[in-house]
Amino acid sequence: MINVTVNNLPVEIEAGATVLDAIQLAGFNVPTLCHHPKLKPYGACRLCLVEVEGARKLQPSCVVPAADGMKIHTDTDKTRAARKFVLSMLFSERNHFCMYCQSTDGDCDLQQSAYREGMNHWPITPAYKPFYVDTSHPDFILDNNRCILCRRCIRTCGELVGNHTLSMEERGSATILIADHGLQLSESTCISCGNCVQICPTGALFDRRSAYQGRETDLVHTPSVCMDCSVGCHRVVKTRDNRLVRIDGDYDANFVQGMLCEKGRYTPVANKMERVQQPLIRRNGELIPVSWEEALSTFATQLKAHAGEEISTCIHGRQPAETLSAFRDFFKTEFEAGQVALCGQDESAAIALELAKEFGPFESKLEALDEADAAVVLGADLIKDYQVAGFMLQRKLSEEFVLIQMTKKPNKLGKNISRKLIMVGDNYADLLDVVAGSKAYESDSADARYGRMALEALAAAQHPVIVIGKWFARKENMDQLRRTIEFARSINAKVLIMKGNTNSFAGAIYGLDLRANYKAAPVAFYALGDGKACPKSLEAFKNSGYKIVQSSYFNEITADADLILPCKIWDEEEGHYLTTDGRLELNRQAITVHEQQRSVREVLMNLSEKSGLTLKADWQTELTDKISSIVLA
Amino acid sequence: MAKPKVASDWLAGCAGCHMSFLDMDERIIELTKLVDLRATPITDLKEPDEEGVDVGILEGGISNSYNEEVAIKMRARCKYLVALGDCAVFGGVPAMRNFCGAEAALKRAYIETESTDESGKIPDDPELSTTTHVRPVSDVVKVDIFLPGCAPSADAIFYVLSELAQGRVPEVNDLTNKWH
Repeated sequence: MINVTVNNLPVEIEAGATVLDAIQLAGFNVPTLCHHPKLKPYGACRLCLVEVEGARKLQPSCVVPAADGMKIHTDTDKTRAARKFVLSMLFSERNHFCMYCQSTDGDCDLQQSAYREGMNHWPITPAYKPFYVDTSHPDFILDNNRCILCRRCIRTCGELVGNHTLSMEERGSATILIADHGLQLSESTCISCGNCVQICPTGALFDRRSAYQGRETDLVHTPSVCMDCSVGCHRVVKTRDNRLVRIDGDYDANFVQGMLCEKGRYTPVANKMERVQQPLIRRNGELIPVSWEEALSTFATQLKAHAGEEISTCIHGRQPAETLSAFRDFFKTEFEAGQVALCGQDESAAIALELAKEFGPFESKLEALDEADAAVVLGADLIKDYQVAGFMLQRKLSEEFVLIQMTKKPNKLGKNISRKLIMVGDNYADLLDVVAGSKAYESDSADARYGRMALEALAAAQHPVIVIGKWFARKENMDQLRRTIEFARSINAKVLIMKGNTNSFAGAIYGLDLRANYKAAPVAFYALGDGKACPKSLEAFKNSGYKIVQSSYFNEITADADLILPCKIWDEEEGHYLTTDGRLELNRQAITVHEQQRSVREVLMNLSEKSGLTLKADWQTELTDKISSIVLA
Repeated sequence: MAKPKVASDWLAGCAGCHMSFLDMDERIIELTKLVDLRATPITDLKEPDEEGVDVGILEGGISNSYNEEVAIKMRARCKYLVALGDCAVFGGVPAMRNFCGAEAALKRAYIETESTDESGKIPDDPELSTTTHVRPVSDVVKVDIFLPGCAPSADAIFYVLSELAQGRVPEVNDLTNKWH
């Protein structure tokens, strides 16, 4: 610990902290623009200049380390004049006319900084030089005219996402932000995660759909959790007048630095699919709107007329735990349906449960990826299926990080990691033998040198982690999986099994069939919600007798269904999700819908009432009991 | 003591700031008890008194030689000059044309618009003022009080004028410093 004074107030702070940390710890505030708590200090904007006694010049507090005995002053004539000068220069350089910009009036850090310094005009007339505007991207616009060159976006793209798409071109006042080596964003390596847009302090990178739809303070902020995959990123759902405006990552939640991927941020807002608005029954080939009462009676009659093997059911993993539990109770326990399946053909969650019976709690939290200095990824495409978990590995470019991967198909994980060994195929045993050293790594490919380096580095790694995905975590690989976990224990590696889609883990614990051998049946019910049916379940459903589907949208599954029930979507229903690493997260309702829209759970309750059944209310104990037996704290 | 005299005029703006001034509603009566409202674009008297006024208000930026003249005359005839609104303070919306130049802007407006036929031409009457780079008022004459906003709220305008009328310099605060 070291001692400093900030504006004559003594504070004690850990060695290695910056002057800015000390200022904030002492309860003072200096304005910053390029600095962001999620990013490494950079020192680009010079707005945080402070006086340090004995120093020849003003010091940028965000990058200067605090030293013992330092006397810091944040609010002197000199610092105030410097801040005004910095802001005057920034405003003079480009088009910072607030009235043209959607980020005005509260949403712009540059404007706020000017207010803070009491600036009510620009002492230096702007240069009026036009800069490049990139409107090629479907989700956001890059307007270099509003850029202050703070590089928050570039640092986010590199440090946090690990994609390294954004960079700067030219020098001095001509500097502009570019993608790759000057490609349009739409043609670049950009993965449309939008994290750069969220972190931009001005209106240089802005969201197309939410632009001019209201200021931050006009929007209702609902902290929630993404339920597109089982990583469970925290996000803030922003609505206005009961309408979805934008989704942002939740910086406050401190999970994966508030990152989101395209599926979590843009896909739900861009969604243009046609909603099912009311129950529909097919009569003489035509869909006729009917009342809920009639639809539910038809449903109940079909269930009554058939029993056991004649009933085939399937539910999508995007449904909350409450619903999955009720679905199991209703169809498996009460009706003993022939099939109570979870869509997706991904049994990784069930395999994890199986392995936990033998090994006890053997898995780690996702944070293990952050700490890892070496990763072995077996049979998973983290970038495609669990993108933000992929960020946690691929952003380790600048560190001495090693990636060893066996993947069924080539994928984009680790494109910027130099020390890596990538094998394409599904002979996991082969790779394991190589990794464990029982077999020599023989390859004369161009990448062989990096592969050997990776293997050497894995042996020396302090925090190795082994990630197992759906192609490896299958029943037929049980022996190899056992060997993998034993190997992991021998090298003190942490293990993560990536479990299916959103709520697969909960589905597995409730005993739903995760890799069903789908069969057509005289009556079939598909609780699809706002998800997408997997090909196998779709085929079996289409070949069934009486086809009932509860779907939010018209799609291939509603195309020839006999009874279609509308369904609430993700932001219209509250519910719990069990993430791949056993965190029980709450997805909050952000939108209220009319009463024609019902959730799957509500429909199950309605049907229970009709059949005189009572579904048990407790869905949680089963989950919490199981989680501790599989995931280490 | 005589009431302080106030005169206003508009330059390259949209008149919105003057509308916002009127938006103070019945408080305008209160204001006239404090000040002697002289020439404004919305009253009969159009030019500030030759013997001078206490407060001059200018809305809009400087976009041509005529705006320059008006600004210089107002500055010469007032003790305190207020730049009212984002155009007067920063250049505002008309300053957008600085990015392409007046030539291109005139061509677009008088020749290239979808509703213009082949007879379209850029006005070139010698009596017309000369188009210039669009500038904030403070680039041409000294400004004493900046009141940004697009438009500044009626509350802000009322506050600034009533403070000036009572011999005080208005504060730069959340009310008076709101850019849009």
